[in-house]
Order: sequence, then C-alpha cells, then structure tokens
Amino acid sequence: MNQETSPREDGELVGEILAAADLAIGRLDGRGAEEVLRADPETSQVLAECATRIGEAAREISEMMRNWASHIPWEAFEELGTSQKSDIEVERLCAFLREEFPRTRADMEEMWEPGHLRNPVDPDEEFALDKNAYDFYRPAGRDLMRRTEDFHDWVEARRRTETWQYSRVLEQAPGNNAVITNDLGRRTRGINFNSQDYLSFNAHPAIREAAAKALRDYGPHSAGSPMVLGNTTISNELEKELGELTGAEHVTLFPTGWAAGFGTIAGLVRPEDHVVIDRLAHSCLQQGARAATRNVYRYEHLSVDAVRGHLRDIRARDPRSGILVVTDGLFSVDADWPDLAALQAVCREHDATLLVDVAHDLGATGPGGSGVIGTQGMLGEVDLVMGAFSKSFASNGGFLASKSPAVKQYVKMFGGSHFFSNALSPMQTAVVLQATRIIRSPEGDELRGKLFQAIDALRDELSGRGLTCMGVPSPIVPLLIGNEKLARVTNRLLFDQGVLAFMVEFPVTPTGSSRFRLQVQAAHRPEEAREAARIIDRSIAEARSYLSSAFGNDLV
Amino acid sequence: MDRSSFPSDVLSTHFLWPHGMSYLNRWGLMDKVLAATPSHTVVNLVNEGIALSGEVPLDLLRQHFKELHQDDSGVVQRYASVRRKVLDEILVEAAVEAGAEVRQGFAVEDLLYDGDRVVGVVGRTRGGERVEERARVVIGADGRNSMVARTLRLPKHDQRPKCTFAYWSYFSGFDLTTAQLHRRGRLGMAVVPTSFGQNMTLVWGPSEWSKEFRGDIQGNFHKALDFISPEIGELVRTSGRREERFFGTLDQAAFLRPLAGPGWVLVGDAECFKDQCTATGMTYAFRDAELASTAIHSWLAGERPLDEALNDYRSRRRSQVAAAYYDYTCTLAEMQTLRHDELQLFVALRSNQDETNRLIATHADIAPVSEFFQASNLFLLNDAAKQSSDAFPIFNDFENTTKSYRQNLFA
Repeated sequence: MNQETSPREDGELVGEILAAADLAIGRLDGRGAEEVLRADPETSQVLAECATRIGEAAREISEMMRNWASHIPWEAFEELGTSQKSDIEVERLCAFLREEFPRTRADMEEMWEPGHLRNPVDPDEEFALDKNAYDFYRPAGRDLMRRTEDFHDWVEARRRTETWQYSRVLEQAPGNNAVITNDLGRRTRGINFNSQDYLSFNAHPAIREAAAKALRDYGPHSAGSPMVLGNTTISNELEKELGELTGAEHVTLFPTGWAAGFGTIAGLVRPEDHVVIDRLAHSCLQQGARAATRNVYRYEHLSVDAVRGHLRDIRARDPRSGILVVTDGLFSVDADWPDLAALQAVCREHDATLLVDVAHDLGATGPGGSGVIGTQGMLGEVDLVMGAFSKSFASNGGFLASKSPAVKQYVKMFGGSHFFSNALSPMQTAVVLQATRIIRSPEGDELRGKLFQAIDALRDELSGRGLTCMGVPSPIVPLLIGNEKLARVTNRLLFDQGVLAFMVEFPVTPTGSSRFRLQVQAAHRPEEAREAARIIDRSIAEARSYLSSAFGNDLV
Repeated sequence: MDRSSFPSDVLSTHFLWPHGMSYLNRWGLMDKVLAATPSHTVVNLVNEGIALSGEVPLDLLRQHFKELHQDDSGVVQRYASVRRKVLDEILVEAAVEAGAEVRQGFAVEDLLYDGDRVVGVVGRTRGGERVEERARVVIGADGRNSMVARTLRLPKHDQRPKCTFAYWSYFSGFDLTTAQLHRRGRLGMAVVPTSFGQNMTLVWGPSEWSKEFRGDIQGNFHKALDFISPEIGELVRTSGRREERFFGTLDQAAFLRPLAGPGWVLVGDAECFKDQCTATGMTYAFRDAELASTAIHSWLAGERPLDEALNDYRSRRRSQVAAAYYDYTCTLAEMQTLRHDELQLFVALRSNQDETNRLIATHADIAPVSEFFQASNLFLLNDAAKQSSDAFPIFNDFENTTKSYRQNLFA
C-alpha cells in the first residue's frame, strides 16, 4: 500500500476535526449562522470549508476506530460537507458546533492529547510511590560509592513525601504506647504495634533489675569472643535454661538472631551439600543458604509434599551429600507455621536434617512458652532449633539448640558469627536468663494469656471490618494491603492518627503483597487493640479514596 | 446486541495468550480460529539485545485455571494473533448456535430503570426503529468507552494516566515464524504473524513522545523499528508490504470501574482497562465472560442469590493477584529504560529455561507476579547465572547509553 492511496491515520483525522472545529468557532466569534451568511461572505466560505474538512475526516475514520471509540457519535460528524451547498453547510456546521460538538469535544481531545500530558503530577510523589527497593539492587558503574546515589535520591523522595517507613526513632521506652520521631524530625504518639516485645518485658521490674545487677557485677562489656573469654557464668546458666525450654540441651549463644541463623547454616553446610528452604523463610536463613552452597531449592510455602519431592530428587542423584531443610516456626510476616512432625519425618526418611527458626514463637506461644515446637508436641524431636531473643526475651542475641554436643562444638568453631563476634554483654545475657525463667513460670502463662486477649481483640475488630488478617492468631498480626502505593499512603496517614505500625513491602514481602505487620504486646489492653483497628480501617479507607483505588476488601 | 454488523474490525493487538486460546478451546471454538490464523507456542523476548525464548508451561496454565475457575480442562499452550473481523464473527456464530438471539447493527442508547435497578435497554435498529427490551440483568461487554458505564456515570478507580502510544499496521512479505517482542531504550516493538498471511507489526513508546512521533507516522514507525532491531527494521522496510493504513492510539490510561450493581454487570475492558503493552485485553474479555457467565448461571439456576454470585466474580477480579498484575502492566506502560538489575536478570535467565518460561507466564498474567518477583527467587536466579554479561554491548557504557535513551528519538 503506498502512502498516497493510504487513508490517513485515525489520530491525525481526530486532530483535523478538532482543528477545523476550532477554526470555525473562532471565526464565528459567537455569531449565529444566519448573521454570518447575511453579512460575512468570507467567513461563510471558511465555515463551509471547515464543514467539508470535518465531514471528510469523519468519513475517513477507520472501522477499527469507530468500534473502539464507540462513545463518539461519528454519524453526526459524517453528515457535514455532503450537501454541495455552502449555506446549508454553514447552517449544519453551526448547529453541530452548538449541540453535538460540546458534548464530545472533551472525549475527542482525550484521544488527541490525553489529560496526563497536559496536567503534570508532583514528580517527587510519583517517584516515591512508583519504585521498589529492588529497582536499585544492581546499580551500574565502577565507582562503588557513587553508584549508590540513585537509591539515595529515591530515599530522599520517599522522605520528603513522608512515605519512608524506615529509620524512625523512639523518644521513650517502646511500651504499648510510644512516642516516636520520623526521620524528618516530626514527632507523634500512638498505640504501638511497631515494637517487638511480645511479653512486655522491657518494662518488667525483674528484668530491669537483672540488667542492673549484671552491670554492677560484670560491667557493660563482655570483652571477648565467647570462644575466648567473652562468656560469664550467667552464659552457662542461660544455655541450661534454654536447653530445658526447647527440649534440646546443647545450646550455643550468638550475638544476634541473624548471626545464629546465618552461622548455623554456614557452619554446617558445605558447597556440595544441599539446602531445601521454605521460600518465605527469614532473610538470615536465605542468605546463609546462599553463602554456603549454590545448591539451594526454594519450596512452596509450608508444603511438606514439595519438600518430599525435592528430597526424593536430590537423593536420587546424590546419595552422599548432606541436605538441610530449613523453615521458620512462626513465619514473621505471614503468621503461619508448618507441620513440624511431618517435616521432621520426611527429613528422616531421606537422611536430611531439619532446622527450625523459632524466633517469633518461642516464649510467646505454646505450653510453658515452648513455642510452635511445644504446641505441636515436638519438644526434643526437632534436629536443630534456632532462635532469637529480640522478640520475647527483651534483648539482642540468638541461639542454636540441638541434642548433639558435637554439633554445638562444630558450629561454635565453624559458624563464623559465633567465634568471630564479641559475646553477648553480661547485661544482655542476664536479661535473657531472667526472661526465660519468667517465661517458664506461672507468670509467663498469665502474660501469654493477656497477650492472646489483645491479639484476639485486634484480629476480631480488623476482620469484622472486612480487612484481611493473614495467618493464625499469634503475636504477629499481618494485615494484608497488597498494592504498595496504597500501603505507603496508609502508612503516611496512620502516622498522625495515633497508631504506630510497621508497613512491610518488597523485599520483605513479594511484589504486590505489602502489608502492615502489627506486633502485639501483653501490655496492650483489648480495648486499645480494638481502637487501633478502627483507626487503621479509617486510614486505609482514606488512602484508598486519596488514590481512588478499588482493589482490596472494601469494594465500591 | 452490537452496533456493528459482523464481520467487523476494532482496534486491538489481536493477541490471545495461551489462556485466551484455552478459553476458545474450552468453548469448542479454537479449531475454527486456527483454521484462519497461525498459532505458536514459542515467544521470543529481546531486551537490549539480550534474547530469551520460551513458552508458557502447561503446569502453570493448569494451576491458573484451577485457581480461577476450579477447572483446568481444555488448556493449551498456543497463542495466536487473530484479526477481529475473523474472531468476532466466529464468536457471534457460536452464540447463535448456542441459542442466543444476536442483534447486529443495533445501537443501545440508554438503559431502563426501576428505581435504582437497571431493568433493560433502549436502542435503535440500523433502520432507525426505537426498541425497548427488558432484562433481568444487563451485561456491558462494550469496551473501554462502555456505553453502559457512561450511562450509569460509573466512577473510574486506580487511574494510571501514564501509558504508551502505539502505532501499527499489517505487513505481508516476510515470515519471522514466532512472536517477536523487543525492547530498547524507551521503545517497544512486536511482530506477530496474524490472519491473512500478514504480520501485526507494532511499535510503542511513552505517550509523552507521541506528539513528535505522529509528526511523521510512517517515517517514525520505521525509525523506531530500526532503532529497536536493525535486522527486523530492514526486513520490514525491504521485504514488507503494508496492507493497510497505519493505526494508532495514545489514549490508553488504565482504570477500573465498579463491575456490578443492581441489574448490571461489566466485563472486559469496560470493567478494567490496561495498556496494550502486555496485550492481554482479548484474553481478559474471555476470562471475564467465563467468570461472569458462571456467576450469572448459578443465579439463574437457583443455586445462589445474584448478589452472592456477583460478589464471587468481583472478589476474583479485585484480588491480590489481580492488583499485583495491574501494577505490573501499569509500570511497564511507563516505558522507562530497562534497569541494570533487570538486564542482569535477563542475562541470568538465559541459562535457566524453567524460570524464563515462568517469566513469560508471569508477563502474561498466568503465574502470579508475586512468585517470580520475590527477593529470594531473584537472588537465587542471580546466584545461579551461568552466563556473563560480557557478550552484550549494553553493559559497556550503561550509564551514558541509558542517559541517551531518555532523549525523545522523534524530537
């Protein structure tokens, strides 16, 4: 098809119609057809030509476009320029411009030049809301320092628009209520679901006294690796208590929970070995696995069948190497847990070893604070139990527990993060020891009872409002939002409305499944939890209205 | 009721992803379509010269249908680009054969109400006769500019004004066999064999460049092809014969509308419009047709109240997975230059066919966005990469090249 015989492109025709109509309106200058025909022959001529241009363009519009732009009354346009008589054309055109054209003009302009090209938006907010952290994961360039600047620009845009949920600071102890400052220096007070202190030990007198006593007895500093001289007699007592709590008596302490997860895997797994890991397992476990071997298999969340499939495949081709199966106990942003008995049984069938991270459940759930393992009647049955103190034990730190003294010694030597870190401070150790003792006492049961009353109140109120609480009742209440923009705007609104909540998005959650992770404390009163739920619901509705969003539970 | 008389054409990418073809197969119509249009399973993606080929895996298709429809019968891995003047007629004939009364050349002009409830339509035959029809439910399958939605003054939600401009035509004279989807800088190109021995040949870019592009549509069309893929650009210029005029659109801002209310339901583009860049419109129309008709059937059969049935339709269409894919398409439609990490990922995928296939399935909304674009998966893909980026010139001077890409090529 050569260019001369080819009909014009539809957009061009729409542009032609708009241009001819505008020319005619300008020349008419508010006059009617009769007046122009009587007194202004030159304009009459121009108007007749405009009518011809509009009619010709409309008749040239493709069938495709007619069927697509079915809201435009093309027939009314087509009648123009068909009469051969200029005065009739002028009259028709004037009637058309008076009646039909004003109704369709905006729609046609949208086809010719869409509104967003005419009305620019706030570029900062757009930049802040449109990107994800992972967009900056592989920066380009040989200058390692300079290439971090793109990410920094984005963080600055998020900060300016108050949608940066990170790096907030506390002005006082993180209790059930807290006063915080965001990183623009703006202060707020609210019901606090932003701290992880499930049993409210941070304010417990016996815990504070334990810290004070250790400070008096040993000073603030452990002054060495636990392999050298960093541990105290409190450390030995703590290992013993933890062994009893977990049902696995050989315990190794680590300076952080992250170090415990990473160090355990790095200590035990070698490049020829295999790691089969729940795809939502904690970052320290994922990174430990990747650091230890390239043979990493992510399995469908919680699926014992998927684990079985992987183990069968691996064993069919590699009967000699080790296999570590890795899962969280309570998953930290989904609030669900695996069937540990089934997982452990599958591992035994294939000579694989099971590692369970109990960071979020130990102490706060289960009989006597024994966590998911205790709840499922698996105390003493799981190969490797790893955990952190930062949720229910009021301190930094982590541990690995097993029934094997050999595993203990081996991970201490080869885990890296145990040997080559300063030991927990005496105060931290004393705090965790005291916390463990309370957890195992009747007072622990009472605290867990209060904690679950608040959890139930929060989940009931949120669910009753049509919002989606993921997982099962636990100190983590994940409130699903989904869309990142909606979550970021809700987060901005919540800041000023009396609820402190942490919004999680990629890379913590997969793309498109952002959520609020509400972390409940024993000190939260049920009414306080319900009030928070009402405020959150209101903020989501406001954010949805701000973004005019129809996704999610609260449908129009 | 349709204002057109069939066969009739309409602006469209004409593309049916494998789930779209699967619906046709489930309805017993795929063979008729395949008699008139070529189909394939392999898709070729080329981003900044990094080529990936793959097909949508059957297991992901099955899973998709099971989750959405609780029934995975009839799924196929084929895709096709089929002209609407072929496809729509097949659909109309099938509707008639199934017992529906189809009125062609009938323009619906208004709705009938009983209070707030829609109880029918008012329309006009081609001969000009005014007709009223009453109905228990009115379904607006009337596209982006839905008359039903406009008459009901339905709001638009989640509007994403940033979109692409797209220009295309139909070329004969060459055969690239399978679908080619290429990107370079802020431009994209697709060449897909379609009905009548022609190739749907499409270029697109950010709509803020549209004004300059349309200054010389033919010239810039070829300029864009040459820029994105010099080989394909030359092939189209030297061997291609353009069979029709150029078509174009730059009004592709995405939105959602409420999709059901008292006496009315919307399906397809009428309830959710997205940019052409993922070419999912026709596939979605079929999906909505099956979801909405299943819901309405369950009501007509007395199995459950209409509201309950429509809530089911609504919850599937406004689900978490749907929202994530909506964002995916809208972000893609901005046509930003490909990021360094994205290009590294494409290189990594060259040695990983399973994940390449999953990327294609994700791109087509068959596998959930959240499963592919998940940190632990992306880290693993990077770790497992066997190919280095050395072979691809884009990495030589990435920063400056990217900067140059931001200049409007048509200015």
